[in-house]
Amino acid sequence: MGEAKELVSDEARDDTGARLGMWLFILSELLLFGGMFILYSAYRYKNAVDFHHASMELEVLLGTFNTLILVTSSLSMAASIAAVRRGQRRLSMVLLMATIALGLFFLANKGFEWGAKIEHGIYPNSPTLLTRAKGEVLFFGLYYVMTGLHGLHVLVGICILGGMLTLMIKDKINRTRFVPLENSGLYWHLVDIIWIFLYPLFYLIT
Amino acid sequence: MIATRPTESVHPKPSFYHEPGRYRGILSWILTLDHKRIGLLYFIFVIAFFFSGVVLGFFMRLEMIAPGGAIMKPQTYNSLFTLHGIIMIFLVVIPAIPTVFGNFFLPIQIGARDVAFPRINLLSWWLYISGAAIVALSVFTGQGPPDTGWTFYAPYSLRTTVNIPLAVFGVFILGMSSILTGLNLVTTTHRLRAPGMTWRRLPLFVWAIYATSWVQILATPVIGITMVLIFLERFFGVGVFDPAKGGDPILYQHMFWIYSHPATYIMILPAMGIVSDVVPVFARKKIFGYMAIALSGMAIAAVGSLVWGHHMFVSGQSDFANLLFSLLTFLVAVPSAIKVFNWVATLHKGSIVIEPPLLFCLAFIFLFSIGGLTGLIQGALAPNVHLHDTYWIPAHFHYIIFGGMGFGLFAAFHYWFPKMFGRMYHRKTAIVAWVIMLIGFNLFYFSMLLLGWEGMPRRYYDYLPQFRPLHLTATFGSWILIAGLIIMFANLFRGLFKGERAADNPWGGATLEWQISSPPPAENFETIPVVRHGPYDFEELKRDG
Amino acid sequence: MAKYRTYILVWVGLVILTGTTLSVAGMNLGGWTVFIALAVAGTKSGLVLNYFMHLRSERLLIFRVIIPLVMAVFLVFILLTFADLAFRGGVR
Repeated sequence: MGEAKELVSDEARDDTGARLGMWLFILSELLLFGGMFILYSAYRYKNAVDFHHASMELEVLLGTFNTLILVTSSLSMAASIAAVRRGQRRLSMVLLMATIALGLFFLANKGFEWGAKIEHGIYPNSPTLLTRAKGEVLFFGLYYVMTGLHGLHVLVGICILGGMLTLMIKDKINRTRFVPLENSGLYWHLVDIIWIFLYPLFYLIT
Repeated sequence: MIATRPTESVHPKPSFYHEPGRYRGILSWILTLDHKRIGLLYFIFVIAFFFSGVVLGFFMRLEMIAPGGAIMKPQTYNSLFTLHGIIMIFLVVIPAIPTVFGNFFLPIQIGARDVAFPRINLLSWWLYISGAAIVALSVFTGQGPPDTGWTFYAPYSLRTTVNIPLAVFGVFILGMSSILTGLNLVTTTHRLRAPGMTWRRLPLFVWAIYATSWVQILATPVIGITMVLIFLERFFGVGVFDPAKGGDPILYQHMFWIYSHPATYIMILPAMGIVSDVVPVFARKKIFGYMAIALSGMAIAAVGSLVWGHHMFVSGQSDFANLLFSLLTFLVAVPSAIKVFNWVATLHKGSIVIEPPLLFCLAFIFLFSIGGLTGLIQGALAPNVHLHDTYWIPAHFHYIIFGGMGFGLFAAFHYWFPKMFGRMYHRKTAIVAWVIMLIGFNLFYFSMLLLGWEGMPRRYYDYLPQFRPLHLTATFGSWILIAGLIIMFANLFRGLFKGERAADNPWGGATLEWQISSPPPAENFETIPVVRHGPYDFEELKRDG
Repeated sequence: MAKYRTYILVWVGLVILTGTTLSVAGMNLGGWTVFIALAVAGTKSGLVLNYFMHLRSERLLIFRVIIPLVMAVFLVFILLTFADLAFRGGVR
């Protein structure tokens, strides 16, 4: 089955415009995290050794596993859109559900990771943390803020995808109207890209 | 009045005021999807917030009329100047022109029926109102309003016991509103231009809003995250700006100014766009150097994003950064100067028509030039050491923001009033108000330039007796300025209800908004126009009818 | 147009690159480590942007401009910030 082309120009609907708007929103999100990356690079520059020590306390395998989860969820997301454009409705919904499931799995791992750290007394302003070197305090401060902000975005993404799934069930998203799903996909890929940078910067500091 | 052109259709369509859409009454306004109604919703609140900012300023000047305490305690004074800054900057100057006139006129000027995302436009307004409400809450709850200055510098903002979290959260919400407006207007400009409306035929107001919108999209997120971090620091002690935990307060300043300097270009570019649109109409002459003005706006947006460190010359920043930022600051003056030259060149040998919109633009050119030149003085490193944190700085930025953006805004009020409301204000009263405002403004802010030069520190509640005469003059000037403002607004308000019915094109403008009725119909155009000439092609206009 | 095969190939690439960056982290490359980590992350992002997000198949100029634009903006912010941080002790 061939893929339905998106509408190019129509009085009531402008798919390219909708996509452009979404991309502009993504730019703003990139700079939102960009601000945090500026702070990260400043403090890593000033506290290179401390950052290295602190990084060793993170579970590399868990971080790597989570990276693979998100990357796979990006695959299922992209495939879900491709499926709906080919009219393969059932496949599209299954792939979308897989994306949501992978997102939830990611969050569960993150929660587990955070929980373990907090149990060990490593969290912002904790007495244990404050006895450590300044660089380590900063590392963990940045760790919690950046992965927390990212996790919040994953959660929001999951909710959005849940909404898209509902729309697909009601046939409001289908072969000829799929731009909301496509835009949600863009958001999901953004979340993946941010993690692609967070992962080496927090887990792989040698 | 200049001869007008026949309107679009023989049978006038009802104006957008009479087409409420899905809802009735107040809901037809606060749930509207019409960009013109949304523009007016912003209009009402921007003016209301402007008034409250002026009242705060009035009391600040009243306190400063003499050394020592006069009518308030020092803590109150600190809160007043903080609130004055927050309200004026985040609720008035940054949003005003894009949300009021950008929303109302950009779609019409490009030949569209509305913006690209009408629902997001409504959401932007609701975020604006919510952000304002949250800031208002910070004034009246808890331990009282913020006292850090609108700049919320760490570490004081991390420690002061007043309502910082609410205030910064409000700023964050306002930032979201700004980003959404920006992306809406960029998409609209790219996607909804009428046939024949090429980039080179866009009114310069559209170019200005376009450049501004890019800055809104790209710079605002940085202050967004900075405000979030202040919030998190206060509640969770994260440590990123706290020296006790290894944080660097100068990094806070970097993050803050990375947005807040480009924010000043969000403020001024739209006003420059208004001047670029108004001057040709009242000189009856094509703008001199159209592409130079269009591209200089983009250049200001770009280079203006590289100069933020000039707010930090004495903060402890490295000498190397100081040199770099000073050099870049001098560079950004160039595209601004290009605009000033081109406006003046447009007036030269033009057929000048003296009307209030032009007068406000002329005041803009004069006051903005003073502001810009003082900016160069403080942008040089050695003078900055003496001038930083003195009255020179607020004097400079009031020349630019109030003298520049403010007068540009007032020009827009007087230019587009007949189009938005279908009525005209009283011309002579507007001119009288303008004269009074100019006198008051310069008495006020020039005194402040002198005070700063003499060493009077800013944000100080008290001062040495030697500064008294200039403070007195400044306060006196502020009263004259406020009198002028009152007359101006009263005149406009009266015109709203009792003004003469306005023609569709009272000024003889060649941009698209003047080819439709005053006020416009709900859908703007009966049929989407096919554009065949440029925005300042007055010859074509004469030939057309 | 979007092919499943392309997506799977991109995914394989992403997995391989993840493995690469993990193993590079185990090596002692001094100052090069950050650079390589960022280069790998950049490549992975490029794959996601171009193929999963379809930037590669966008024809309008504006779509081709926006990612370089945001990269340039970010670069400028970080470089100018470092003009301060890296030279606090004076220029040597």
